[in-house]
Amino acid sequence: MTGKKFKNISMDGLFRNNPTLRLVLGTCPTLALTTSAMNGIGMGLAVTFILLCSNTLISLLRKVIPNEVRIPSFVLIIATFVTIVRMVMEKFIPDLYSALGVYLPLIVVNCIILGRAESFASKNPVLDSSLDGIFTGLGFTWALTMIGAIREILGSGSIFGLELWSFKIEFFTSAAGAFFTYGVVIALFNGLFASIENRKRRKEFKLLYPSYEVDLPNKDKSENKIAKEAK
Amino acid sequence: MTVKQFFKSTAFKCILVLTCIALVAGGLLAILNDVLYISPEERTQRAIKKIYGKEVGFTELNVAGENGEYAQFSSNQYGNIDNAFKLEDGNYLIKSTGTEGYKGGSVTMWIVAKFQDGQFQGLDKVIVEGYEKQTLMSNFKASFYEVYTSNNDHILGGGMFGNASSDGVMGNLTSGATFSSNAVNRSINCALVYIRNVLATGGVQ
Repeated sequence: MTGKKFKNISMDGLFRNNPTLRLVLGTCPTLALTTSAMNGIGMGLAVTFILLCSNTLISLLRKVIPNEVRIPSFVLIIATFVTIVRMVMEKFIPDLYSALGVYLPLIVVNCIILGRAESFASKNPVLDSSLDGIFTGLGFTWALTMIGAIREILGSGSIFGLELWSFKIEFFTSAAGAFFTYGVVIALFNGLFASIENRKRRKEFKLLYPSYEVDLPNKDKSENKIAKEAK
Repeated sequence: MTVKQFFKSTAFKCILVLTCIALVAGGLLAILNDVLYISPEERTQRAIKKIYGKEVGFTELNVAGENGEYAQFSSNQYGNIDNAFKLEDGNYLIKSTGTEGYKGGSVTMWIVAKFQDGQFQGLDKVIVEGYEKQTLMSNFKASFYEVYTSNNDHILGGGMFGNASSDGVMGNLTSGATFSSNAVNRSINCALVYIRNVLATGGVQ
């Protein structure tokens, strides 16, 4: 594997195609479980482990599984790993197990895992698929942890269970607060992402056409037009 | 289609692959289930730790008595006593289910009964264990449950809990969830009947 490929896979999973903030997948656990940062980390790591295992196994079996039973096979594999995670969590981390509740078994039908299995693991080699599983999972984990931390700080006045102050806005621990926080975080992340991409494009454009002093607008259309003029 | 054709067909391959995956997955889960098994004693210990806040030794009591002599108290007009534990510090932990909730459902509560030198001192903690058909249980605030633990004079005076304040019944109601409130009250009352008639008299040990 080349360094560029590794960078691409990692940047895709963590930022460019972040399942929570860019693709808006796995919304159900994101909204329901982010009442605390700890829940976010717990759910995120559980999903990461399942993504890693399922992506690796599906990639290994991609030439054996017939196309006609692709989805049932993926679901069977994912369900097995979810059950293993449930058993391990119930045995060793019972508090987190009860906090995650029904959302833990529901990982079986989480569109992030099925989506990566279908669109990546079933078409790519094992190492690439494993890395994709790890980085997509970590992308999901940091997004959930961040939303959880914001809601916990504002809604409960604490972070990772440690009390910061007595000031609380209960709205942030409610379902409406979850939608509000999620929306604001998506908007901020995408705004920041777009501005970084823009700056990068502007830099590349300047390198290609150093004599042009233009204020490059957001979209490719205008960029193409300017490029045509430059030619 | 001949047998040979069937074995060469995609349908057979599909069945074979799915069966193999299911068998391997089933075998793996069976082994892990055995390895990661949680015994009923461990579950009880965990539940006690969660409710009590610390690990404490316990003895499970036979709620109806050796010969069923306390059955009328363990299954009374308010509901049923599911489990009772004597803790090593002298207190009792009771799991009680109150009936006649919303749509005929029930509410199960864990109740810590304080005892000193064998004398009942009141309720220390009440925690919801679970419920059936009660859709508004999330509306219940901590103050609703605090009524049971902050009125030990009322309890020691023989009082009960209910929706209306009459005949020694202390009113405790969450607005809009009358039936669920009633089921919680009945669960506590069920435990009180058992405590007063069995535990406080030195019945089951």
